[in-house]
Amino acid sequence: MPSPDKRPSPVRRLTRCALLTAIALTIFMAEAQLPAPVPIPGVKLGLSNIVTLYAVYVLGPGDALMILLSRVFLGAVFSGQMMTLLYSLGGGLSCWLILLVLRRPLDLNHMWLSSPISAIFHNLGQLLVAAAVMKTWAVLAYLPYLILAGVCSGLLTGMAAQALTRRLGRR
Amino acid sequence: MTKGVKIALAFLVGAVLAACAWLFLRPAPGGSVAVVKQDGVVLQEIDLDKLEEPMMFTVKGDNGILNTVVAEHGRIRVKDATCPDQICVHQGWISQPGKPIVCLPNKLIIEIRGEGGELDAVS
Repeated sequence: MPSPDKRPSPVRRLTRCALLTAIALTIFMAEAQLPAPVPIPGVKLGLSNIVTLYAVYVLGPGDALMILLSRVFLGAVFSGQMMTLLYSLGGGLSCWLILLVLRRPLDLNHMWLSSPISAIFHNLGQLLVAAAVMKTWAVLAYLPYLILAGVCSGLLTGMAAQALTRRLGRR
Repeated sequence: MTKGVKIALAFLVGAVLAACAWLFLRPAPGGSVAVVKQDGVVLQEIDLDKLEEPMMFTVKGDNGILNTVVAEHGRIRVKDATCPDQICVHQGWISQPGKPIVCLPNKLIIEIRGEGGELDAVS
């Protein structure tokens, strides 16, 4: 379907966002079956971040945000744990914000680097929400563990997203 | 490697190193006082951190059950007991607040009172 400018048609854009949301949601739900290593709700491997990374770099931050918010909300509803909504939101938004900053200096070939950094901030966001909810800074004791775990999974998802993006091409 | 990449990499490595340093160099939580209670009555309070020599004492219950308690620097346990299930003996040493040693037949509970204490579970 030809369009006068280079941007994809609205239908194509909507379809692509919807598809990516579904994929991210599926990964999210599958991941949620694994037991949580720490007593903070919503701490997971973060594999659905592969979709977020792809979206931010290829579709742009606006679409990526829509996909993220939809996935977070739907994920909380479908998994039956509305409690995770707050934490997912806090983590997801922190991650998205950092990617917004990083996507210019760290381009497509450096997703493997921006991903672990965004993972650190994702965990930081979750911890800050947990601290606010439980009204104590004690939860920050988990930060070192989360940093190390986050960097590991961040490297994984970053490399996966990078390979994926290379395969799929920019459009 | 552009300047941005260098900064990002430095940040990442720095964060990981800081996390490792935090985990390995963390000072031990201070002030471990073991509280020995029987039937709700505090029999003894032992400051485990200040304990130089190991100390041993026995706790006797109304029903004739005897617990032999050993306290060392930083930890305490029930060494022997004449109770039927021996759960208190099997528990072994405790040194952190949160999980007390309990001998139900003798109504004995030994717990460590610390500041804060770690969460067991949060839901």
